[in-house]
Amino acid sequence: MVEAGRSPNIEILTNARLETLEGEPGQFAAGVHQEPRFIDDDKCTACGTCTMYCPRPVVDLYNERLNITRAPHIDYVQAIPSSYYIDPKACLRINYETCNLCAQTCTAQAIDFSQKPRELSLDIGAVVLAPGFGRTDQSVLEKYGYRRFLDVVTSIEFERLTCSSGPTEGHIVRFSDKKTPKKIAFLQCVGSRDETCGNGYCSTVCCMYAIKEASVAKEHNADLDIALFFMDVRTQGKGFDAARELAETKYGLRVIRARIPRVDQVDGQLALTWTTDDGKSSSELFDMVVLSEGLNAPKDAKAIAEIAGIELNHYGFCKTSVDSPLVASRDGVYVAGAFQGPKDIPESVTQASGVAAMASELLSEARNTRTVTISYPEEDKSIESEGPQIGVFICHCGSNIAGVVDVNAVRDYAGTLPGVVFSKDTLYSCSQDALKGIADKIKENRLNRVVIAACSPRTHEPLFQETLKSIGLNPALIEMANIRDQCSWVHSQEPKAATEKAKDVVRMAVAKAGLLEPLEQTTVDVLPTALVIGGGAAGMTAALSIADQGFECVLVEQSDQLGGNLRRLVWTMDGKKASKVLDDLIKRMDGHPRVRVMLQAQMEAVSGYVGNFTSSIVQGEQTVVVDHGVIVIATGGCEYSPKSYQYGKNNRVITQLELEASLAKGKGVLKNVKNVVMIQCVGSRGEDMSHCSRLCCTQAIKNALKLKEIKPNLRIYCLYRDMRTYGFSEDLFREARKKGVIFIRYQPDRRPEVIEKDRKIKVRVFDRLLKDEIDISACLVVLSVGIAPGDNEALAKIIKTPLTPEGFFLEAHVKLRPVELASEGIYFCGLAHGPKCLDESIAQAKAAAAKAAIPLAKGKASVAPIVSRVNKDVCIGCGICESLCPFNAIRLTKVNKRRKAETITASCKGCGICASHCPTLAISMGGFTDEAIIAQIHAFAGEKCV
Amino acid sequence: MNNNHQIGRIAAFCCNYTASVATDTLREAGLIPESLDVKKLPCTGRIEVRVLLDAFEQGAEAVFVAGCRADECHNLSGSRRAEKRVGYTKKLLKELGIDPDRIEMFFVHYGETQPVVEAVREMTARISKLERLHST
Repeated sequence: MVEAGRSPNIEILTNARLETLEGEPGQFAAGVHQEPRFIDDDKCTACGTCTMYCPRPVVDLYNERLNITRAPHIDYVQAIPSSYYIDPKACLRINYETCNLCAQTCTAQAIDFSQKPRELSLDIGAVVLAPGFGRTDQSVLEKYGYRRFLDVVTSIEFERLTCSSGPTEGHIVRFSDKKTPKKIAFLQCVGSRDETCGNGYCSTVCCMYAIKEASVAKEHNADLDIALFFMDVRTQGKGFDAARELAETKYGLRVIRARIPRVDQVDGQLALTWTTDDGKSSSELFDMVVLSEGLNAPKDAKAIAEIAGIELNHYGFCKTSVDSPLVASRDGVYVAGAFQGPKDIPESVTQASGVAAMASELLSEARNTRTVTISYPEEDKSIESEGPQIGVFICHCGSNIAGVVDVNAVRDYAGTLPGVVFSKDTLYSCSQDALKGIADKIKENRLNRVVIAACSPRTHEPLFQETLKSIGLNPALIEMANIRDQCSWVHSQEPKAATEKAKDVVRMAVAKAGLLEPLEQTTVDVLPTALVIGGGAAGMTAALSIADQGFECVLVEQSDQLGGNLRRLVWTMDGKKASKVLDDLIKRMDGHPRVRVMLQAQMEAVSGYVGNFTSSIVQGEQTVVVDHGVIVIATGGCEYSPKSYQYGKNNRVITQLELEASLAKGKGVLKNVKNVVMIQCVGSRGEDMSHCSRLCCTQAIKNALKLKEIKPNLRIYCLYRDMRTYGFSEDLFREARKKGVIFIRYQPDRRPEVIEKDRKIKVRVFDRLLKDEIDISACLVVLSVGIAPGDNEALAKIIKTPLTPEGFFLEAHVKLRPVELASEGIYFCGLAHGPKCLDESIAQAKAAAAKAAIPLAKGKASVAPIVSRVNKDVCIGCGICESLCPFNAIRLTKVNKRRKAETITASCKGCGICASHCPTLAISMGGFTDEAIIAQIHAFAGEKCV
Repeated sequence: MNNNHQIGRIAAFCCNYTASVATDTLREAGLIPESLDVKKLPCTGRIEVRVLLDAFEQGAEAVFVAGCRADECHNLSGSRRAEKRVGYTKKLLKELGIDPDRIEMFFVHYGETQPVVEAVREMTARISKLERLHST
């Protein structure tokens, strides 16, 4: 968010709504109405004085009405723009021309009551709709006693309660008596999977967020007894199942499979009654009930649709199709996030990048015609070369750190450390106003080394480096001490020890900071070519998008034709012919002037770095060398091949894809077939592979419906663990039940068996309701086999990147950088990332194309300044470093007839292996010199630093 | 309610809808006394005067019927029928020289447990003011 706020090319209009949209793709005119904030965001320093003086209380909508704020306020400290605004309905000055206290107390003179609503006409090329989701209707919540019983809360209210900067500072209390609850129940599917309230779809995210909220609550209070009531546990996201299982065992969460019909209150306790699928009915009293409310279509979806001229689906979300999931029904209008359908953060971020690609394709001709670039002031070498003047900034992170660590004590202690000339605490050092404050203090005190004691450098170091750059200091002169993750979080129960540890960590950081040296930031030119590995749906989509954005693209496919897994698919989820999607993609590939396809080709080796990769591609007998700027991995996955269930031994046992293929050939396969048994999770979720393959439930339902369509009197049984037909696929699940498909849930410890006797097949499954095994005679057994990772290991070795334990590629950050690998300039999408449906693969491919196009469009990439450097005077040319370097970034050269090592700066990843092995200590690492590390270790032992 | 064992037994007749929370759950939480017998009927309309009198004979100090609100009865007129029978039983008790306050009809909103718990308290309060019917 801060990044968006800082970009000179993003103009943020708050309090604004779209009124008209005229014109055509590339040349829209958008009419926007903007209400005033009454506070000038250029002048506002977000000091909060106006809120303090305002006499007019208003309910805090951001905190779910659980708090009171004042007419002038800011929703939360990290909000962008980091400026306060006035609620015009409550303000006395606006309504009655009295008061005016805030304007008088504002020292920045930011309060401006003369602001008027504005009508803007924006001249734009493309439109992205991302209005998010709407809230569950009050009437639905009231069915569960919400409002009638104070201790029935929504999951979003609960989220605010668990938030350390929320209304209760992270303490979970009952609204009725302000006491800490001992027993909490989470009710899932409130306003989801419920036709009675018109929401027949699954909201996709609630299962996982309930588990998260329950875990956070348990983390805060280990004595809590938490029960979660699920219909199906739908944690189908990448790594979600593993996270859920961990939470269940670590926190002892009780998972109960039942839908609670209603909530009753007895003497202040909430009574729940339910029946589980083994027919047992139970009841229990709880202190608090959390309603996991679903994601609705945005409240003003209809108005938006009318203005933007787009169609909505039958649930009021934006209508899209499987083959173009990001495109609304009007050309040039794109959609991302929950407005396209309920989805979680990684999916939303992926779609957001995807629509950026769509807009960039459309507007590629106009690129750089309106962009603004930031220029930084010249580095002030004189300050840098002075002796170290260290400044320490200690972050409260709201109460994230300050709730445990005594920040003031750490600040005072830091001030006593040698070399430190300034120390200060800040509430949220990453907020825009705090960054400005830090910059001011650095200038005022002529600081030339800065220690930020806050959170993880992994997420926040670039932000603080940027601040240094903005005032003419080298970004390498900063050191972060992670007192949040390493102190307040892990030692939340021991505030004293955490404070002491924070002092230790700060002392070490200060010791290192004293020895930091400015590092040179080099930029390299980027070859405007992308290499896409894999020619399936994801690979082709990515390649076409990059090419449409104006860059050359080479696609490498190992088989003899394009298509990948899409070639085996017959129908898409929305009933279209998959071959049509495939043909369209291939046709566009063939005709594209900027796409070059290499079939029967494989990457053998790659060297280089972002902007300048060189790959050798083996194609048949010969090896081709390709130079390119970025890499997109779309190597796909494969259908898991089961070893059990008589698969391969009996030809009446087939996989879902095999069923599709034979149905496509004709109805012959159904001749003499009366009973079909489908078995879910074959190979997935702990059988051979630990992950959930995400798409098999919907795939099975899709095929079951197809079978019913061809042969309505066919008996179909579906044996499952959890039906994970998330999102709008829930409609298909309901339709299948209506059409008579029989669903039987099995337990993971009692998987179904396929028994072959006298050339007949029986499927034996334990029925929980009958408490007995039942034998279903099957004419055809269809196995929903999962998605296994492709041969990722070989490629991972070549490009030197880690894989997840399941064998898929690992993203740089699960939520914020879902299509990027940790190594710069390498992106990935499709099944190489993890199992997913076709529409999700396509959206992700677009996202990868958008990310890949960033360095291509900029034309320059900056190389991380932390690289190794060889002191040639000390180097003896032994060559140990060269043999050890995993990135081929060190070579030996002859200097005056003597062998000397030399770093290829652009290839160097800064791992430091060479430095640690050099027998003469000739290699030093920028930012991590031996001296600095040793000083840090000495400081740890409490010795004098600097 | 600490002197549960000193207070005589109370017999409660509930239907499927007025006794949705299991008696054990409520008893464990201390919301109803040990000495309460809950008899679940498909509908309170099933009640016969004989059954109500039988409860007294079996040792109950008080008896109550918790039926659905008159306009909400799943079986249309079941709870109104029960009300009539409770009324008749009151008359019989009077003739027998027993305080008619020892039996009562309560109407409960569908699925609410609080009024049932309140009814138990009401009946407990009533019998604590009266002399015992049965010797302990």
